[in-house]
Amino acid sequence: MERETLEVDVLIVGGGPAGMSAALRLAQLQKEKGGEPLAIAVLEKAREAGAHTLSGALLDPSTLADLVPGYKDKGAPLGAPVQHDDVYLLTRTAKVRLPITPPFFRNHGNYVISLSRFVKWLAGLVEAEGIDIFTGFAATEVLFDDSGGETRVAGVRTGDRGVDRHGQRKSTFEPGVDIRAKVTIFCDGVRGNLTKSLVRQLGLDEGRSPQLYAIGIKELWELPAGRIQAGRVMHTMGYPLKNEEFGGGFIYSLPDNLLSLGIVTGLDYRDPMFDPHVAFQHLKRHPLVASLLEGATLVRYGAKALPEGGWYTIPKLYAAGALIAGDAAGFMNSERLKGIHLAMRSGMLAAETCFDAVRRGDTSERVLKAYDDMVQASAIRKELYRVRNVHQAFGYGSFVGALFTGLSLFTGGWWFRDPLPTHGGWTRIRKLADYYKDARPDPESTVNPVRIDRQLTFDRLTGVHYSGTRHPEDQPSHLIVHDASVCATRCREEYGNPCIRFCPANVYEMVDDGAGRKKLQINASNCVHCKTCDIMDPYQIIDWVPPEGGGGPHYEGM
Amino acid sequence: MILVVAEHRDGKLNRASLETIAAAQQAGSGAAPVKVAVLGTSVDAVARELAAAGVAEVVTIDDAALQDYTADGFVLALEALIGAEAPERVFLPHTYQTRDFAPALAARVNRPLVTDCVAVKAGGYVRPMFQGKLQADIAVDGPHMATFQIGAYRADAVTPGASPAPVRRAEIRVDPARIRQKPEPPFKEAKQAVDLSQAERIVSVGRGIKSQEHLQLAQQLAQAMGAEIAASRPICDAGWLPMDRQIGSSGQTVAPKLYVALGISGAIQHLVGMKGARTIVAINKDPEAPIFEIADYGIVGDLFEIVPAMIAELGK
Repeated sequence: MERETLEVDVLIVGGGPAGMSAALRLAQLQKEKGGEPLAIAVLEKAREAGAHTLSGALLDPSTLADLVPGYKDKGAPLGAPVQHDDVYLLTRTAKVRLPITPPFFRNHGNYVISLSRFVKWLAGLVEAEGIDIFTGFAATEVLFDDSGGETRVAGVRTGDRGVDRHGQRKSTFEPGVDIRAKVTIFCDGVRGNLTKSLVRQLGLDEGRSPQLYAIGIKELWELPAGRIQAGRVMHTMGYPLKNEEFGGGFIYSLPDNLLSLGIVTGLDYRDPMFDPHVAFQHLKRHPLVASLLEGATLVRYGAKALPEGGWYTIPKLYAAGALIAGDAAGFMNSERLKGIHLAMRSGMLAAETCFDAVRRGDTSERVLKAYDDMVQASAIRKELYRVRNVHQAFGYGSFVGALFTGLSLFTGGWWFRDPLPTHGGWTRIRKLADYYKDARPDPESTVNPVRIDRQLTFDRLTGVHYSGTRHPEDQPSHLIVHDASVCATRCREEYGNPCIRFCPANVYEMVDDGAGRKKLQINASNCVHCKTCDIMDPYQIIDWVPPEGGGGPHYEGM
Repeated sequence: MILVVAEHRDGKLNRASLETIAAAQQAGSGAAPVKVAVLGTSVDAVARELAAAGVAEVVTIDDAALQDYTADGFVLALEALIGAEAPERVFLPHTYQTRDFAPALAARVNRPLVTDCVAVKAGGYVRPMFQGKLQADIAVDGPHMATFQIGAYRADAVTPGASPAPVRRAEIRVDPARIRQKPEPPFKEAKQAVDLSQAERIVSVGRGIKSQEHLQLAQQLAQAMGAEIAASRPICDAGWLPMDRQIGSSGQTVAPKLYVALGISGAIQHLVGMKGARTIVAINKDPEAPIFEIADYGIVGDLFEIVPAMIAELGK
């Protein structure tokens, strides 16, 4: 099939904080060093910059100060400076405020922001430098080139458009484009599909610990005026999560009476009937949250996975013709719950390596290794190395995790076993028979049901509506379940189909097949691109691939 | 003067044209006269139907070049008509056909175009933004064009005229040489696509119907009521009814006189497709079902008991 080819010097896949920072830094280096201008392109699957971007978020402005000096004058949408930090331990009805806020939860000097707005602002700066951001284009395949002897990454292929749900070409068919680049910087986010396949094909995770993830479910609410001042930051632990379940709640107040609130739950839970969405509804009904939300209006809903594994889970960051930055590499500090400033810095460092390599005319693995050297010498390592075992410690329960975290403040993260051994979170889910013994619940039931009142608590479908998610209906399903025969038989028996519970968007349903049995129904158009299914399914047979470019959530203000 | 551009196909008037006339009558509120334009060939029957409304005049542009709809043909014809009649406002229904030519027409006559309006306000219009989550007030100065969302106004809210309005054929010719599009025969799917937005009564089924065999109960009710059958998403996903019967955010949006929802819970995605209906009747076993929040008449009960009773009653 004839495909168009586009040639660039540097291709950045993913227009999030890492990708935009890389693009901006490249533009800056170009201005500084002069010479033949580089051809740079950014690919972003969302219809517009920031549309698929979701985070709490609390921004540590350290990297921003380096990337965009004078950022305040340039209109950086910094929301509100953090005024007040609180950590609460919750029980079902009560709350206990920690008298001392642990240092990693202290946010003095940080900002409560909307990451989506922030990325949109960065995109404006990138475009002002004359760099093309191709929104609505999803990269679906990595292109390799064997001709030079060494296998190198040659670029990416974007997805075909105009294919119907049966895989047949429609009259609007357009084949994907091959974008060939001297260096491709992969910034495709947490559990990015391209980074996932790149790591697998080139063995970039050899000798690394498996990545660990959490899912964050977030809502944006508009409160009655004056209910709470902007810049209030609250983190919660305990209820509604059990000791064996990692995670907690977050409540951040933004200007204009907006409240960002959500729950982060580890994707390494044991209880096969655990439902993060239900846990979130329980959190909202807790008096601490319910009192804030009284008379308030839901504005937006969304969800996204987080890379929690830390330092030892970061794969090899370079290969011939390729670099990996941002959440795709797993640069998140799971102790401080901050990754934006690290993603941005990794993007900047990747840009610097790229620029040198392209100018030198040598983008081999040997030269691109400089990126890894820079990361090792940078503030990224300084911050992440110290907390390298924190999330893994939580694998032994929240109590042990908290103890270890407290200890590591003094020990700099040292432990007898370093790295702390761990397995992929999806391996920890227990079988129904194991976990529930004789009290085996019906897979369609909710083990800890919560009342859906549509004022405070909502069902998943309503959430999908508030996420602004839209996909053209007539396209192949982008959730590829490699063996759906497992669903109604083995999985239902062993785990009770956890996909119907861990997906925050009601993509997976077990419906009657008309012959007295169940079958898996995939409502692909509900997908909010959080990647939880790809991460968490107990048989690891789900592959998330990008749907037709432009489709997905619309996370305005998230 | 407000000029309404009507739409028809194969001699049948699109109900949305009546909705647009209702909007114009309300916007004009007696002070501004309303005229209706009909384009095509052999449009007399449609023109007479429109003349029953309380409008000042129905103007037809009857030209062989307009026999098949083309964007260029309509732009040329309407450009001439707008030039001759100088309406302050031009109203159109926000249909696919309108979206095909209205922007070009607006550019040609150099007028602003406000699309997908749901209401007329003093000095402007109200239109939805972000999938209906916000309403925006748009203020417009001077001569302009506006299109109206299907269902925003009710076709039966048209004030009829005391006597039929005069029908006049405009002295407008369209030069076929200036039409660049060459329309092919209209494309029809193997199965006849249903345009539910034209139905006055709809019986809609949801998951509560339980199985495909039970669908015939709903069909019997539809037949007894003279209604079209429609469904929420799960029914169409399961293949029990074709996709063109789906109502909701990923299906059709309708505003019939009567919408009977059988076993439909009322997820937001479905509600956005039917909340404009004049009268909504909901039957559902679950008293907490969200559909009851927008239903005018709600029955909490078993549809398998209630629907047969309704059919029996309608048979009397």
